[in-house]
Amino acid sequence: MPKCTIDGKEIEVKPGTTVLQAALDNGIHLQYFCWHPDLPVDGNCRTCMIEVEKMPKLQIACNTVVAEGMVVHTKSAKAHEAQRTALEFLLINHPIDCPVCDQAGECYLQDNYMRYGLYDSKIELEEKVHKRKVVDLGPIMLDAERCVLCSRCLRFEDKVTGTNSLQFVSRGDHTSISTFDGRKIEHEYAGNLADVCPVGALLSTDFRFKMRVWFLKEHQSVCPGCSTGCNIYVDERDGSVERLRSRRNPDVNKSWLCDPGRALYKQIDVTERVSGARVRGAGGWAGVTVSEALDRVAEALKAGAASAFLATPQGTNEDLFVFKTLADSVGGKLDFRVGDPQLKVRQMLDNVLQHVDRNPNTQGCLDQALGRDGVDAILAACRAGSVKALVLQGPELLRVPEAVDAIAKVPFVAAMATHEGPELDRATVVLPASMWAEVSGTFTNYQRRVQRLDVAVPPPGDAQPRWELAAGVLSRLGKALTAASPREVFGLVARATPGYEGLDYRALAYMGVALQPPAGAGDAAQEARA
Amino acid sequence: MATRVVTVDRNQKPGVLPILRGLQITLANFLRSLFLRQASTVSYPEQKRPVSSRYRGIHILTEREDGTPKCVACFMCATVCPAECIYIESGERPEKTIEKYPTRFEIDLLRCVYCGFCVDACPEEAIIMSRENDLVGTTRAELIIDRDRLMARGKVVEHGPGYRPQEHDVRRPVRIAALERLKSEHGIVPGMPAPKTPRG
Repeated sequence: MPKCTIDGKEIEVKPGTTVLQAALDNGIHLQYFCWHPDLPVDGNCRTCMIEVEKMPKLQIACNTVVAEGMVVHTKSAKAHEAQRTALEFLLINHPIDCPVCDQAGECYLQDNYMRYGLYDSKIELEEKVHKRKVVDLGPIMLDAERCVLCSRCLRFEDKVTGTNSLQFVSRGDHTSISTFDGRKIEHEYAGNLADVCPVGALLSTDFRFKMRVWFLKEHQSVCPGCSTGCNIYVDERDGSVERLRSRRNPDVNKSWLCDPGRALYKQIDVTERVSGARVRGAGGWAGVTVSEALDRVAEALKAGAASAFLATPQGTNEDLFVFKTLADSVGGKLDFRVGDPQLKVRQMLDNVLQHVDRNPNTQGCLDQALGRDGVDAILAACRAGSVKALVLQGPELLRVPEAVDAIAKVPFVAAMATHEGPELDRATVVLPASMWAEVSGTFTNYQRRVQRLDVAVPPPGDAQPRWELAAGVLSRLGKALTAASPREVFGLVARATPGYEGLDYRALAYMGVALQPPAGAGDAAQEARA
Repeated sequence: MATRVVTVDRNQKPGVLPILRGLQITLANFLRSLFLRQASTVSYPEQKRPVSSRYRGIHILTEREDGTPKCVACFMCATVCPAECIYIESGERPEKTIEKYPTRFEIDLLRCVYCGFCVDACPEEAIIMSRENDLVGTTRAELIIDRDRLMARGKVVEHGPGYRPQEHDVRRPVRIAALERLKSEHGIVPGMPAPKTPRG
């Protein structure tokens, strides 16, 4: 383990660590543009200059590996002057149009100018080299004038997606990035280009002019789009989600997030949300309070008739646990495998992030052994008329055409739903459920990593988390749950689920805890990744 | 308008004489306004007191030569506003040279505290203040004034503009504060070689 001294602080690092990484890990700030933790080192921006004793020239911190006994100064007069000058070079042709630039507030140029620059510009606005602005690349808007030519986007396209759609064109101070002949960016990871761009050259078209970033409040969460479980930030203002951003987790998604995942916030604040409970009577649907609807469900289950329960892999571990407790308390049949997500949970959709299984918590269902009686067996029992009450945690089964006749045979069908749809007309009681951004809880991803998500926005109307709805039914059956918060429910989950022993809700925050990978998880996924 | 200053001796012993002297001032003012018409009141609203050229009245959104708003929807005013009375929605201008403009720009004049921070924060001199101070409406909604009304005001103001940035360089104090913070927090003085760090 080599030891070095950075700004008088003794630091011991793993062999092969660069000075920049060592400094950042130990709270020493250094400016950088082209360096990115998940991309290969390029060393082209020259802004992370440091002085190393016994080396005749200044070095770039991002490409200098820590050696035993190295003494580094990042704030010496020589280093500071070099850092400032390098920054001044980057700003020579920058248009300084911060007022209309969406990057303002999270821009490396702004931050570093305030920290290292604060000089008066020597360049008049008219002398600056003008380049292409407002170039529509589909999901991305390109402004070549703002670009600092750090090549992060090029390296991302080269090493992560392998698409290579961006290139440098022209020479000298006319150099700019461009796609070939007006082509657009067509892969599903374009949003990451806006994320890796340290300045406002590549910006998200979806987020364009929508909001100044300093108004947004970030919440740590997990993407519900597929079984990968990418770590994300939910950026919200006044209860409405404005965008999703990737949150770095080297063991899951690195710094990346796919575009379908980024677009998921659009499902939250829509008019088609189920915001209140309703019951179908002789005269059609009648709106009721959630409490009344839960009374109806409890009544149907109390009758002692045979019941069946279908969990949803969209639910959190807490949702699943309480739902299972409810099913067990009345001795009902239980399953979750509508559409066989368990077969796809480790199947990669591409070679970057996405999995074929579009549910975030199929692994959680498997860990809690919710696949018990078989969906086909439950449907057969429904057809035979032996199921008197069917409780659905999600609307998946209602959408299956082959199940329509079986469901029609069941006299009482309760469905928890987040969005309105024609399929809900097949239910007897509809319960309004909160979506992932509106609940706290945990998801278990395909690697069997338990990850936590936080409430970001309030749910619409009377909607409640699925576990609270199930707990409401339990308490009406006289078997009230001993837990009253997601954290307490997770405590019960950890005690009851094999492999989850000793997990603590707080300790999960916010990188998750990896459990023993499931047995026989043929590492097709890992192979596809490698 | 000039106020006459009367020196009052607070240590004077109480008695009838001081009361009579006070009444003398009142009587003198009464007779002066009755016969000489030198009243210190004005007949508002027909008559208005002149206000300072830096008076902070109802806002004006300034225009470009083509009649479009000068505002580029940077949200600086909405950010700095202590009363949170400015609501902006931005959109894309058809011509690519300016890119951004406000599709909605509303000021809730009932929430506004007329501090003038929005004027100071504006990088484009797009929002300035007028010397207009009378504000009448029958509903609250009427006093949330939108972009078009804020722009049209420039033409109807009778007293001319009020507080606006060229009165003094507002950017100076901000810059000085930033430099001071840089020095105290990081020990960096831009433009000058930083102090040598002791080696050892």
